This record gives sequence, C-alpha cells and structure tokens, in this order.
Amino acid sequence: MTEHSVDDALQKAAEVEPPVEPELLKQIAASMQSSLRPVRPLPPTWMLAAGLTLICAAVAIAAAARIGFYGIDKLDLWERLLIFSTLGVMAWTWGVAFINRLIPGSRQRLSAGTLLSIGTAVLLSVFALVFHDYHTDHFVSAGLACLLSGLLLAIPAALLSWWLLRRGFAVNTVAAGFAGGALAGLSGVTMLELHCANSQALHVLVWHTGVVPVSAALGALAGWALRRRATPPVR
Amino acid sequence: MDSGSNLDTLMARYQAGDFAAVTALVEAIGPRLHRFFLAQSASRSDADDLLQETWLRIHRVRHTYRPGEPVQPWFYAIARRTHIDHYRRSSRTTAHERRLEELPDAAAEFPTDEPATDDLETLLAPLSENQREVILMMKVGGMSLEEVARATSCSVGSVKQRVHRAYKILRGRINAMSPSQGSSRELP
Repeated sequence: MTEHSVDDALQKAAEVEPPVEPELLKQIAASMQSSLRPVRPLPPTWMLAAGLTLICAAVAIAAAARIGFYGIDKLDLWERLLIFSTLGVMAWTWGVAFINRLIPGSRQRLSAGTLLSIGTAVLLSVFALVFHDYHTDHFVSAGLACLLSGLLLAIPAALLSWWLLRRGFAVNTVAAGFAGGALAGLSGVTMLELHCANSQALHVLVWHTGVVPVSAALGALAGWALRRRATPPVR
Repeated sequence: MDSGSNLDTLMARYQAGDFAAVTALVEAIGPRLHRFFLAQSASRSDADDLLQETWLRIHRVRHTYRPGEPVQPWFYAIARRTHIDHYRRSSRTTAHERRLEELPDAAAEFPTDEPATDDLETLLAPLSENQREVILMMKVGGMSLEEVARATSCSVGSVKQRVHRAYKILRGRINAMSPSQGSSRELP
C-alpha cells in the first residue's frame, strides 16, 4: 500500500460525496448580499501589539504612581534595565500571542502553555539574578497581598486590552482568555516591580512571578465561561 | 477561481462590499466546506446547517481577514470552530435528553439519512477527530501543511505527526478492504 494509493482512495471517496445543492449556495450568497457593506480590515499585528504593550505599561505606571514607586527606588540602573526590558519583551510576545488568538487562521508558533513555561522561566531567571536576600519574613501574608494587588491590576489591563481587540474573533475562547490573562498579569507584575519594596528573593520569585500563571488561568476560565454561554444546549 | 491568489482578491473585494465577489466566494469555498462538514457530521442536513452557520459567522467577522494572509486557513478556522460549537451544543443537548432516550423509541423505525458505506466518512471513520480534520483539509481541501497548521491553531510538526498517524491507519484500513494490493513504497 503506497501513499498514492491512500491519496487515490481518499480522492475517490470524496467524489462519492453528493455535491452541495446550488440552491443552498444561492440562498447563502443572497442573505450575505442583503447586509453587505464595506468593512475595514484589522490593523497590522505590530500596531495592535504596540497598543497592548502601551496599555499594560500605562496601567502599571498609573497604579504605581498612585501607591508609590518604592520598588524601583531600591533597584540600580542595570537592574531596572534588566527587569523592565524583560517585562517589555514579554508583554510584546504575549500581545502578539493574544492577537493571533483573536484572528482566525493566524500562525501560532508556540502553544500558550509552552509560551507560559518559557515566560515564567525567563522571569524567574531574571529575578533570581537580581534579588539575593533569602530571608522569608511574612512570606505568606505579604505574598498574598502582592498576588492580590497584581491580579486586581490585571483586571483593568485585561478590559482595556479586550477593548482594543474588540473587533477580533476568537476561534478558541479558552486559549484567547489564557493569552489575554497572561498579558494582563504582566501588567500586574510590572506594577509590583515598580511599587513593592520587598526585595526578598523568594517573595519576588513566588508571589510576583505567580501573578502571570494565575491571571492566565483566570483568563482561560473566563474564556471557558464565555464559550459555555455562547453554545447553550438546543432545547 | 480556485487558486489562492484569486481567493485573496475575491476576499478583498468582499471586504470592500462587492456583490459579485460574495457569489464567487460562496461558489468557490462553499462546496469545500460542505464536504468538510459532510465527512465529519452524521447527516447531510447537519452539513447544510453547519455551512449556513459558518457563512453567517464569516460574514459577521469578515473584517478579521487581513489582505496578504492565506485565505483558506481563515475560512477553515471559522468552519472548524462552527463544527466544534455544534458538537458541544449537541453533546449538551444529548446529556439533557438522556432520560428521554430511555423511553421506547418509536422513531427508530423511520429511515435515517445515513451515508453510503464507501463514502469519505466511512473511510475516515477509524481516525480520531483531529486526524480526520487534517486529512480533510490537506487531501480534500488541497491545503499545505502550513495552512492546515494555521487553520487548526497548532504547529506544522504536530500536523505532520497527525497526518503520518492517519496514513498509517488508513493504509491498514484500505489493505483490509482490498487484501490483494501489495506494499510498494512506505510513507515518509
């Protein structure tokens, strides 16, 4: 049995299929023509990704400006450069991933799970490189406060990002929610790096980095809920 | 009419509000999508419904196609989504109706619109849902690996793997159906 034999068998089987009724096609075309008007295609990916990155940065800076820039004050120049350039690149990458999940037929080089694993590993490496205080004072209470603040900030970032991409169409709402959640979570991490003066390594590694996967999971959950609402059972 | 660049042009004209482009696109893509649904769903009426629902969605989100991008993955990604939603909806409906099914089924005696035994659906029956859709897109829809990867939101490597496994199963099935045929060339 050769590859061509399989192809031939598939071709023959496809030819057996009864053709679609021309009347049905005419009916579809007519219903589309009845509401046809020109539409403007979505802007290019780079433009939308720049918009998303700006939204994340603006939300984080606005929140930190309100509650204080205590975290960034404790960092020296190269530490600031390393942390914030990494966060910027990650926001851009997640922005592109989010956009691709809202445009049908887009190329997706990495799955959302792989991207999250790589992103988390990169963040952990950068934080491990910068923070060397291994004390763990008020590890859980201080950590939960930071996690919660990061997640709360992710909400406006997610809403604004969704507003920017409101003309998109998610073929997989769970994957789109996951990507959008991770992007919004990065806004929360950025705010924490600007604001949080706790420079204990474990605090930053666990609770600051943790905002991204938790936010991604919440985004996926929101996507799942949307999908369930969009596909009610036929009664 | 069938070439990618012609479809791209038609799609751009459709976005610009050209009536003739709508008819041409529906005539060019409609039969392919119908075959895609027919080979995956149980009946012709389901395939007809899915085709109409898909075009409705296509019409609603036509602005999400960006000129210059391959057009077939865009159509198939929406068609695939419509099929998945339909499947989910009917699964949940079936779950709601499970208790009713336990009653004596008088309707079971009525003829159904089951497909013939030598059709595409029967041939692809032993394949998983994922394998079936990539085979349909590649071998029946004439799409490339890259285009199928875009339509199914996965990597080219993953598509290759699915095709390879599907061919292995199909070879076995076709061999079983016609045992006289020998093996002359293995798949890559």
